[in-house]
Amino acid sequence: MTSRLTVGHVAARVLTFVILVVAAVAITAPFLWIFRGAFSGSDAELYRLPPTFHAENLTLDNFGKVTEQVPYFRFFLNSIIVSGTVTIAQLITCSTAAYAFARLRFRGKGVLFAVVIGSLMIPIQVTIVPLFLVMSKIGMTNSLWALIFPGIFSAFGIFLLRQHFMALPYELEEAAKIDGASRFHTFARIILPLSGPSIATLGILCFTYWWNDLLLPLVMISDTEKQTLPVGLVLLAGRFSTGSLGTIAAGIAMAIVPVLIVFIAAQRYIVQSIASSGLKL
Amino acid sequence: MTTNTHPTTRPRGDGAAALAFLTPSILTFLVFVLAPTVGVLILSFFDWNLLSDGTFAGLDNFKRLFTDERLLGVYGSTTYMALVILAVNVVLGLLLAVLLETRMPRWIRAFFRLSFLFPFVVSASAVALIWRFLLNKDLGLVNYLLGLTGLDRIDWLGSSTWAPISVIMVNSWKTIGFSILVYIAGLQSIPKQLREAAIVDGAGAWTRFWRITFPLLSPTIFFLVVINTINSFQIFAEPRVLTQGGPGDSSRTIVEYLYDRAFGDFDLGYASAIGITFALVLVVLTAIQFWFSRRWTHYQ
Amino acid sequence: MNIPRRKVALACATAALAATALAGCGSDSETTSTGAKALEIVYWNYGPAAESGNKATADAFTKAHPDVKVTLTPVTGENWGTYYANVATLIASGKKPDLMVISGEGAQFVHSNKLVKPINEYLEKDAGAKAITDDIAQGLIDGFTVKGDVITLSYGWNDMVVYYNTDVFKKAGVEPPKADWTWDDFKATAKKLSADTNGDGTNDQYGFTWASNEIFPGIMPWVANAGGNLTSDDVCQATADSPQVNKAVTFLNDLIKEGVAPAPMPMSDVFTRFQNGQIAMFGAGRWPIATFLPAGFKSFDIQLYPKGDTYKTVFGGAGYPILKSSQNPDLAWEYQKFTVSDEIEKGYVGTPDKPGDSIPSRRSVAHTISQVGVPPANSDLYYDSIDKFETLVPYPAPAKYSTFESTVLRHLQQIFAGETTVPDGLKAMQGELTGIVTC
Repeated sequence: MTSRLTVGHVAARVLTFVILVVAAVAITAPFLWIFRGAFSGSDAELYRLPPTFHAENLTLDNFGKVTEQVPYFRFFLNSIIVSGTVTIAQLITCSTAAYAFARLRFRGKGVLFAVVIGSLMIPIQVTIVPLFLVMSKIGMTNSLWALIFPGIFSAFGIFLLRQHFMALPYELEEAAKIDGASRFHTFARIILPLSGPSIATLGILCFTYWWNDLLLPLVMISDTEKQTLPVGLVLLAGRFSTGSLGTIAAGIAMAIVPVLIVFIAAQRYIVQSIASSGLKL
Repeated sequence: MTTNTHPTTRPRGDGAAALAFLTPSILTFLVFVLAPTVGVLILSFFDWNLLSDGTFAGLDNFKRLFTDERLLGVYGSTTYMALVILAVNVVLGLLLAVLLETRMPRWIRAFFRLSFLFPFVVSASAVALIWRFLLNKDLGLVNYLLGLTGLDRIDWLGSSTWAPISVIMVNSWKTIGFSILVYIAGLQSIPKQLREAAIVDGAGAWTRFWRITFPLLSPTIFFLVVINTINSFQIFAEPRVLTQGGPGDSSRTIVEYLYDRAFGDFDLGYASAIGITFALVLVVLTAIQFWFSRRWTHYQ
Repeated sequence: MNIPRRKVALACATAALAATALAGCGSDSETTSTGAKALEIVYWNYGPAAESGNKATADAFTKAHPDVKVTLTPVTGENWGTYYANVATLIASGKKPDLMVISGEGAQFVHSNKLVKPINEYLEKDAGAKAITDDIAQGLIDGFTVKGDVITLSYGWNDMVVYYNTDVFKKAGVEPPKADWTWDDFKATAKKLSADTNGDGTNDQYGFTWASNEIFPGIMPWVANAGGNLTSDDVCQATADSPQVNKAVTFLNDLIKEGVAPAPMPMSDVFTRFQNGQIAMFGAGRWPIATFLPAGFKSFDIQLYPKGDTYKTVFGGAGYPILKSSQNPDLAWEYQKFTVSDEIEKGYVGTPDKPGDSIPSRRSVAHTISQVGVPPANSDLYYDSIDKFETLVPYPAPAKYSTFESTVLRHLQQIFAGETTVPDGLKAMQGELTGIVTC
């Protein structure tokens, strides 16, 4: 009987890996084309069918062209500042608010939470004009603040962390409560350490989102010096799309790398779990 | 919204603490979210094109909604694409996330996670570049490969049957990693002891999933259903870069439609009115989801 | 004048809701143009060339007028439409620029929104104006004339010509086209250039294609040469279901049906496929050379669009109109004149390695393209097409241009996908355009 089980186990594991590998290939394969484009010295070759590959056409020139055509490192720095600041600020505002919604009792909580969720419903494409007017009245347009401040409040982040906090066992807090710990203490010492995976997830999602956001910089910023990478890609494409495919691909590839680094860094925290933090239930 | 039914001995009212915890969010919310939103509300009663004098229009913008012949069709295509994307992301995302829980070396797991999230980290320009090449009818790679197997060319981006399917495919491709990532975080929060105890009790994988994983994951699933609904109803970039919403309005979304009203027609009043009614639709949908969640979402 | 009061009220209402003491909504406290000698210029920052070009113009202008301070305000946008939207947003927030770059399609838009100050009186008063306008093709001036008001001098422009890949022609043993070719010649040529290279039963090399995402390099040249236009001469009525438009669209649709043209794709996708020979001919302005030449691709040339029932060159220009908000229109006029000076115009000619991406408006400068040696061989054709041939004037570009264009494209998509017939599709298009093309 045990041996039959093992056969089933093996089959299940094989099937699992087959599904995972197929999904991974299907999802990542299209990027090979971008990376190939980034190193390709011939735009014409990229669209050829059947796909051809000539090693002698490989080149690093495209990366040089990117930095030649747009102030890439300036954009890069701006993007890091914006995405980084928004992410840190969001982690603070979202985790504290989520804690209040998940664990505290106060009047108007339901209504307030409904308002928070409700704010997700109006697409940014309609609020952008009033937002621009607000920003221009408080003198923030054409500065990086115009890209940072609108991102700090995140209903999505509050909701994500609230769901997570609500799933944490109450008993943990009760113990701290009995020890006379303050609310803030409970939050900082008990809830946060248990929330590595969710906070890292929010961090990744927030950073990626703002890293790629095109609408705000397009509307808020007019100085090229203050633009971010997605605008850089638009500039590389050029009017009438006259930009070279290889150069655009190189620009895209260069814009992906930092996000990958953030992801790999945050990855460590995602693998943490309640079990590994050694808590007894 | 207080779905928590866990007995607790806590004294009522944490008003002061709550205020402290909420202040940063409330301040940024008021200035950068609420003010523009109220601005939209005001705009919806005006006739304004950004450049000339705005005039008060009463309910005209809202009345126009009922005579706009395209609006219903656009709502239809939006709903169709949104629901399929929602289903794919929530179900397929869960499957892949659970499969990732299988025992495997850490670096392999990390590799899979990274692969799944990869499309999420790229910009719309990359999406456009890649998929327009792949899905081009006569000179695209996908149809070329289909042709090798003897199949006919499919007009992925040009036919009103396939264009929305292409948008669904590309959007799911781009966003499923997000759902997987959130599922992973949710799964990580499930105490391993519970599952280990179940294994000791001799429960099979299937039973363990339905008895332990699924109930404990329900807050995450609920979260993803809500968020994916909102996100998939608000798709903008993919149809714009792939199909320009066409042919006809077959792959057009509401957000794209109102964006064109605002920045193509410079009709900010009408665009705002569409935005507000659209928001109301989402509010109702989400309220229904919250209401249902009380029945099946399980919180510790 | 100042910002309309109602708009201020709107802006204040919005800003007041910011619920902080930050919002100061007291008065129009804009102090941008205090001195008489300052100019603010808004331009579309579409890429590195736009910025360096505008900087160079501004620098050269301040060199000639050291007492003038020129402020450049680049505005980003993915296309002309979003650029206009962003400029409008800027103006709504209280900025008062003196000049802004617009394309010919925007002429009706800025005119009907009373944004610009026409230059008619300057053209009469200014002694030097005559010499300039004489050197600019009449079509370029007519193109920027709305109801008798001249919106701006045009500094650069593009006409629609057919690009052909000379290698593909040679390989197929097809003669290069001549300027007097007809639609029949064109179709016969395109057929010879279409091929099924891998033998799977369907063509994978095509004679011709056109952009799916724009109408100027798309259907317009065909409509014009069929003797039609998408709007009436006063741009007050749509004429999308006229027999001429039907004829043009049917011709293009047949090219797809007969396997001579692939399903239409956006312009950027066409460039690469033209370079690798998958597409032998396509239509565009001068801008493709800014992609082709730096990439080392030189085996192409240009020819006029083939003649249908008539021949009319389709073109579009760009210029720096003076805005009504300008505090100093006379100085702004000096600047506008400066943008068509020899010094600046030469920049649009470019060099063989770094070609300009549009055609200089001044005839005398445009004719130096072939002297400088910027490919293609037929470069003189660019200016000749507007000087020596009839032109399509006015632009079929109503005030609501971007809605107009997207409506046309939306119906064309359905026609070219075979989901509706040409007459039905155009009838539906016309029905919808009726409400969009008005005066």
